Order: sequence, then structure tokens, then C-alpha cells
Amino acid sequence: MYRQPGRGRVLLLVFVALSIFLITLDFRSGAEGPLARAKEWSIAVVAPVQRGFTTVFRPVGNFFSSLGEIGDLRGQNQELEQDVRRLRSENEGADAILDENKRLTEVLDLKESWQTMDAVAAQVYSNGAGNYNWAVGIDKGREDGIAREMAVISPEGLVGKVVQVTANEAQVLVIVDPTAAAGARIEGPRDTGTVQGQGAGLPLLMLDIGKDADVSVGDEVVTSGRNRSVFPPGIPIGEISRADVEGGSPTMDIDVDPYVEYRKLDYVSVLLESGPAATAQEDR
Amino acid sequence: MAVTARSAGRSGTLGEIGLGRVAAYAAMLIIALAVQSTVLAQLTILGVVPNLVLVVIVVLAYLDGERVGVVLGFFGGLLLDLQLEQAIVGVSALLYTLIGYGIGTVRRLSTKESVWTPVLVIAGASAVAEFGYASLSIILGREWVGLQVTAKRAGLVVLYNTLLTPFVFPLVRRVANRFRPERVLRW
Repeated sequence: MYRQPGRGRVLLLVFVALSIFLITLDFRSGAEGPLARAKEWSIAVVAPVQRGFTTVFRPVGNFFSSLGEIGDLRGQNQELEQDVRRLRSENEGADAILDENKRLTEVLDLKESWQTMDAVAAQVYSNGAGNYNWAVGIDKGREDGIAREMAVISPEGLVGKVVQVTANEAQVLVIVDPTAAAGARIEGPRDTGTVQGQGAGLPLLMLDIGKDADVSVGDEVVTSGRNRSVFPPGIPIGEISRADVEGGSPTMDIDVDPYVEYRKLDYVSVLLESGPAATAQEDR
Repeated sequence: MAVTARSAGRSGTLGEIGLGRVAAYAAMLIIALAVQSTVLAQLTILGVVPNLVLVVIVVLAYLDGERVGVVLGFFGGLLLDLQLEQAIVGVSALLYTLIGYGIGTVRRLSTKESVWTPVLVIAGASAVAEFGYASLSIILGREWVGLQVTAKRAGLVVLYNTLLTPFVFPLVRRVANRFRPERVLRW
């Protein structure tokens, strides 16, 4: 009686129908709606377990990866001490310039630079669960002032933007995701275009650069802040690794090697004055 | 204990399935998802992470039959879909529902007990899941990175999932045996 084949088939039909209903619902309702709330719950349920695993296993992983480096440590330490002395003296000069910059920014009514924006530091506790989505979970959320569309950076450069917030966590869509894009500018020729992700391990694509642009491999690409982009201008994205002109195309084929390493992300900063706050300012 | 299970089973579906079993299976799915997105996300094979949630679903469908496969497939897939902001909700749910049913049916058809059967079943299910997900994403209008990347990624997921099976299978079977209603004597 327990293994009546007919009942399995009915169950199958019910759940297949339910899945198709959900797919339709997903297409019909936008960023808000019942599915957005279901996502928030699901993230909030799994997050404590993920954070537990990260707390326990990250130190273990770090221990093993640093075992191989012990030999270099003494030399590295000496170099770092020298760097600290040099940076300390440079820093005093930089402080004065930063003050001056801030004063001038206020005088000229310019948009605030990302370097001086209020930011919240957060730690990455999870990577996206699959091979088709490149997002990370961070351990700060709505209660720390984080909202959707805020820009996220790491010491290396641009990480991505916040796409989902719960009370104490947020999900960050990393720039390498195929659905992620950012307005970008090539330092040097100052041509602007858009960079788009293709998945971790693949370079970013830079679109809309005319074939006459004076682009060379190794040029740095930064955010442009244009086109109502959520990213403030000037955040480093990566370096151009390939720039080709193909046949009759009016634009160049450009690959950008992103600075952000998806699997190695640890500490990041969320720029609280970017995203919705910044676009509101633009509307003024 | 057996007596209470039997009487509860007569009265309703939930009694038949067992509340502890529901909780245990749900916990296994959540732990699988957490491990996959934290520990295993740092231990990739050429940048590819395995799909531990799928492995758990397939093992349980293989052990418990197509009805458990369908239900776990749906909820496991849904759990994955809901975690990913950019994912279309329902795609993994649909795929894993079908896979769960398929595995449950295959289990009934295969007569010989072999150590290799679960491994082969996982490999096959992983291939179906990967290519199915890519195909459905394209049909539903998502950006696609090309056949070569998809094929390489799918191949690595199949390999990684298969490598995990010898560790996951006995673990999941132990939990499943512990919570299976006592009145159902299968073997």
C-alpha cells in the first residue's frame, strides 16, 4: 500500500505544476512581492549555519595555505617593516592633501569621493551555492544601515553591489556575475563604456569602446559613475588583458582582468553613501 | 514505538511520514547547502563547486523511493533557487522534482545490489541537472556563456559530485535509517 505507483505520479504532477507556477510568478513579480520575502526568509534560515561553518573552517583553511609560506615569512617581515616606515612619512603628507580635497569638494559642490564615504566593514561568510551565480553573503545587514544597490569594495577594488538585505546579512552580487555590469572608464585614454561579468575565472568584457580608442594592454579600468550607475566614479575594477579590433565591428573587443578574486573575498566595505542615496542626489 | 507509528500511520499522512523524519531531512538539506556554499566553495576543482544538495536529494530518493524523491527534489531545489538573488525561482525545483522521481523509479527497476549503482546514479543525475539547468536558463532568456564553458563546468560538477558520493552516501543512509518509520520494512 505504501508503494502504490499511482500516488507517486500524482505527487510528481502536483510538484511539477507548483514549480511551473513559481517560475511564472517569478517573471510576473519584480524585485518586491511574495518571492522576495521568501528569499529573505530562506537566506535568514541558512545564514547562521553558514556562518558557523565559516567560523570553524576558515582558520583551518588559512592554516594550511600559510604552512607552505613559512620560509618566506622572515624576508617578508623585514620588507613590511621598511614599508611601514616609508608609508608613515608619506601618510603625513597625504593627510594634509585629504583635508584640502575635502574643503575643495565642499566649495565646488562635487559628489563625494568613494575614498571618503562612510562605509561599513563586513566579512564574507558564504559564496553563492552554485556555478551559475556569483554572489557572496556578508555578515552585516539592514540594522547596520545597508540597503539594496549600495556599492561594495575591497582593498583590491570594486567587488559589486548589494542585491538582497536581511536584518543581519546582505547578499552582494559580484561584478564577475553575468548579470552584473558597471559603467567604466579606461584610465589614460579616458574612454568610457560598460564592463560586464562572464562568471568567475573568465575576464570581464568591456563594451562600447570605439575601435579608434588608444587602448593598450595593462591600462587600468575604473568605475565611471555615469549613466545613473550605482557605483561612485574612480573605483578600480581591473586591468585590460586583451584589446582587439575585429573586422567590420565599430567597437573593440576588450577583456578586463578583474582585481577582485571571487573565491578569496574575505573583508569588504559597503559604501553607505552610494547607490540609492547617490542616485537621489543626481536627480536634484 | 512500532505500535504508535502504526496507529499514527492510519490516521494521517504526517503520521505516516513521521515528524522527526521531516525535520531530519530538512536539516540535511540545509546543512548540505551551508557546507556547499562555505567549506566546499573554498575547495573547488578548477573553480567549480559541487552540488551537495543534489547529491543528498538523489541519495535519499534512491533509498526511499520516488515519492520522497519528488518532495525532497522540489523543496531542495526551491531552497537553492531562493538563496540566489539572480536565479529564476522554480527552475531548480522543477528539475530536481523530475530527477527525484526518476531516481526513485530507477531504484525500483534495478534488481542487483552493487556498490557502483549509487555512484552511477549520482553521476547521471548530476549531468541531467547541470545540462537541464543550462538549457532551462537559456529557454527562459538568461545570458549564456557558451557551450564550451557549460560543458566543462558540467563535466567538473559530475566528477566532483561523484567523488563526494562515497562519503555522503553512508552518512545520509545512516540518518535516513534512523528516522524511517518502523512499519515500513523494505529490506
